[in-house]
Amino acid sequence: MAIYRLLLSCFLLFPIPTVNAQEIFTLSGTVSDKASNETLIGVNVIIPERNTGVVTNEYGFFSLKLPEGSHMLQISYLGYQTNSRQIELHQNTRINIQMQQSSENLDEIVITEDVEQTDIRSPEMSVNKLSINTIQKLPAVFGEVDVVRSLLLLPGVSNAGEGSSGFNVRGGAVDQNLILLDEATIFNSSHLFGLFSIFNPDAIKDLKLYKGGIPAKFGGRVSSVLDIYQRDGNSREFKAQGGIGVISSRLLAEGPLIKDKSSFLVGGRSSYAHLFLKLTDNPNSAYFYDLNTKLNYKVNNNNKFLFSGYFGRDVFNINQNFRNSYGNAVFNLRWNHVVSENLFSNLSLIYSDYYYGLTLDFVEFNWDSGIKNFNIKYDLNHYIRDGFKLEYGLQNTYYQFQPGEISPTTATSGINYYKLDNKYAVESAAYISAEQELTKTVSVEYGARLSAFLRLGQKNMNFYENDQPVIYNEARDIYQEATPVVKPTANRDEVIASFFNIEPRFALAYNFAENQSVKVSYNRISQYLHLISNTSSPTPIDVWAPSGPYLEPQLLDQVAVGYFRSIDKEHYSLEIEVFYKRIKNRIDYIDGANLIANNAIETVILNGRARAYGLEFLLKKHKGRLNGWLSYTLSRSQQQTPGRTAAESGINNGAWYNASFDRTHDFSITSSYTLNEKWELNANFIFQSGLATTYPVGQYEYASMSVPIYASRNSNRLPAYHRLDVAATYTPHLKKDKRIKSSWNFGIYNLYNRKNAYSITFSENVDEQRNEATRLSLFGIIPSITYNFHF
Amino acid sequence: MKKIIIIVTAFITIMLSSSCEDVVEINLDQSKPRLVVEASIEWLKNTQGNFQSVKLSTTSDYYEEEAPAVTTARVQIVDSEDHVFVFNHVSDGIYQNSYFEPQLNMRYQLQVEYKDEVYTATEIFVPVVDLDYVEQTENGGFNGEQIELKAYYTDPANETNYYLFTFKDEKASFEIYEDEFTDGNQIFGYYSNEDIEPGDEIYIELAGISRSYYQYLFLLRSQIGTNAGGPFETKPATVKGNVVNQTNKENYALGYFRLSQVVETSYIVN
Repeated sequence: MAIYRLLLSCFLLFPIPTVNAQEIFTLSGTVSDKASNETLIGVNVIIPERNTGVVTNEYGFFSLKLPEGSHMLQISYLGYQTNSRQIELHQNTRINIQMQQSSENLDEIVITEDVEQTDIRSPEMSVNKLSINTIQKLPAVFGEVDVVRSLLLLPGVSNAGEGSSGFNVRGGAVDQNLILLDEATIFNSSHLFGLFSIFNPDAIKDLKLYKGGIPAKFGGRVSSVLDIYQRDGNSREFKAQGGIGVISSRLLAEGPLIKDKSSFLVGGRSSYAHLFLKLTDNPNSAYFYDLNTKLNYKVNNNNKFLFSGYFGRDVFNINQNFRNSYGNAVFNLRWNHVVSENLFSNLSLIYSDYYYGLTLDFVEFNWDSGIKNFNIKYDLNHYIRDGFKLEYGLQNTYYQFQPGEISPTTATSGINYYKLDNKYAVESAAYISAEQELTKTVSVEYGARLSAFLRLGQKNMNFYENDQPVIYNEARDIYQEATPVVKPTANRDEVIASFFNIEPRFALAYNFAENQSVKVSYNRISQYLHLISNTSSPTPIDVWAPSGPYLEPQLLDQVAVGYFRSIDKEHYSLEIEVFYKRIKNRIDYIDGANLIANNAIETVILNGRARAYGLEFLLKKHKGRLNGWLSYTLSRSQQQTPGRTAAESGINNGAWYNASFDRTHDFSITSSYTLNEKWELNANFIFQSGLATTYPVGQYEYASMSVPIYASRNSNRLPAYHRLDVAATYTPHLKKDKRIKSSWNFGIYNLYNRKNAYSITFSENVDEQRNEATRLSLFGIIPSITYNFHF
Repeated sequence: MKKIIIIVTAFITIMLSSSCEDVVEINLDQSKPRLVVEASIEWLKNTQGNFQSVKLSTTSDYYEEEAPAVTTARVQIVDSEDHVFVFNHVSDGIYQNSYFEPQLNMRYQLQVEYKDEVYTATEIFVPVVDLDYVEQTENGGFNGEQIELKAYYTDPANETNYYLFTFKDEKASFEIYEDEFTDGNQIFGYYSNEDIEPGDEIYIELAGISRSYYQYLFLLRSQIGTNAGGPFETKPATVKGNVVNQTNKENYALGYFRLSQVVETSYIVN
């Protein structure tokens, strides 16, 4: 309750300053890149003499309230020349600002100017930003530039080992990340079971990862928000770029349809079909591809339509016997409308689909599963006055879950047609969020999100004796599945379970000294979808389950406190944060749970909770020939599933246990050095505690097999993980008259060939009839070369 | 279905050409010894089924090569008509009885007395259908040329059945099946292995098992062999069976007491 009171006091206690007699006008407009006319996100538009300013939104729009008269406007943005201009304001004024990339000064050595730092004064905290420019230069495994892998170099972000899918933020699970591509939810962000992420770096304009202090406009996942925007396409001239790498090749084309009004972008990426498979004559293939498209049309200064699409698939075909295909498809249509000079709106219509399909010829069946959703969102940015901005909006999503359908592929197949019941749900939310400068040194962001989740009727529903889908067998001390009584339910309109939550959000920044601030934030978030996965890292076949009669929504509370400082004229920045979070209703699985093709998933699930806490440290050097960052995270992530009654033992005897992705220490250094105009060198070093794991404490013999015995779950650790990667980018001397510009990237991953344990497995050596521990290490030293071009 | 995950895991391991595996020394903690019961009463169709045995051992250190035999226990099985069948120790923890009376669908209780504690387990004698025929094809494995065997049987319709297949070549391997997606159909037990060669004689046994034993084997199988470790591992768990310590619940026993009717055949690979 304390939080509600605090929130309320924000609204009531801080008086809104009365407006001066001097007339106030609005200066609004859009900031874009001069060469491509691409709108720019997060540009600082500042009035230095008034010590005030604003940041452009996701569509490059800004609005400022200023008194009548003459003002000096300063516009600055990462990688662009700072632009200063005098504005005479005698009425509400609309300006469109074009910025020039600083890298276009070809005769000088380009010194990357990196402003991926958190604004000292703004209440925004716990946010990681990486520019595509930075990501593209980092050394990468197989030379494949990867968005998610790059994020792992920042504090608070980790994963469950090399080659595992997804990422973990502040001790949260993979399914607790909200991944948005042009505002559409992505359900699986991995290619090749997690070796690469699905984002084609060439097509991306901007990305931001919120680890805490999550604004009220986001909801539905408790751990983090990865907010990615695709580029709009160049509306000035036709451009193309691409690359040829060890694993995949890329090509992207963009250009105007109607100059300065409408543009397109089409980007494709595909890996080679016989990837990794050594035998050229074998009938197997494994590959992935992506297609990114974007169309936009600017009707006038106040109206713009954007259409974007993403389609990606992974395909595996093992000697025609095992065929597997999965991926995301996303389409959305957005309408940016400037309602008035201080009110910006965006309406999004989004369709997103995740599909998983499998054919096993030797057992003659097909498996199809997936999740579809239709989402409508209306978001408004309201610039009330100088230092006070409101964001509010409505969101509504309709989900259709298809957990699985099995069909025989031949007339003689021994498999019967079987369909797991489709599930349906509606998730709605309304939110309001204010960003306010209370004094010259204190600013706050506060708001709330009201979310509702309605589970709708489906064909059949399961009912259980005593309402208990899981039975505890006290004599044997095991949990067992109850047998459901299946009853048909009424129609789809019927609501069979409903959940409502108020989610307060709050953040405050106190700029107590020049270039120094302290920030605090609190947020509550609810999550209504659960990824049903019993492995350390999710697999593509895992299905999402909606909250319902036997599955409660997850509810998170997170508090974070941070110290932020910029040092030596913004050459360096320092960010230190501590966080604590707890999650109610984190599900766990009974031993031996069968999750695949289970139409009564509630019979293998127990309700528990999770908690995580930690310290994050980030020191960045932004300017100069040598720049980069040092990141350190000390954290712990745990889960507990106690028995439902005193007689039950719960999971792991009801004790807290480490999450399988828990790492105590996570340290990395990332550096980049510009040698001369042709060569840029990059290196990163990573040192991490081993992942939590469970080693056996004994064995028994049963049916001539050695069966391991375990004590407490995840109480052991794999050996420490460390590696050094280096890369060099060579850009041949640029001739002004030459149209094609190219560069080469040479990389070596894991330079000193450390055999990092991906896993240590304990099994019986059948030939020698004794047990042994086997270490599997995935990536040894891997050199790579990539050729990139654009024209 | 578990196979899908195994294939996925195997695939990711195979495709990463730079991956490598080596045996490492890991020091492990030790737990105190517990009683382990392997009481698999099998009655081959069209035989008397009166010779039966039960094996008792204890748990041991993980790297220990021999399971310590339990030679001092008292073992008997009692059926629900109060017939008592006493099992006497022969050697190496094997206890035998020569006058056992198998009856399908009868409930039996195993009673073991060991170190002044009494352990019991209760199960039903599960019947099984006949094997129809065995089919050999040659497109298994990753190269698509491996020999595969399919042992067909016909599942009775409108009842839930669970099956245990044992294929014995040089070593034994087992497969478990339920009939959730195959109810009432003619379906097969599947065996493929890179070591199968023409001329090999493969012994195939099919046993009827209870749902509870199916679940035990399902969990057991996820805990042994190649399935453990890495991002796609199933969560490690101690596999608990149906043997309950009536004297001291904390000191639970491991293993399982089950009774199955079985059918068998042998097949010569051509």
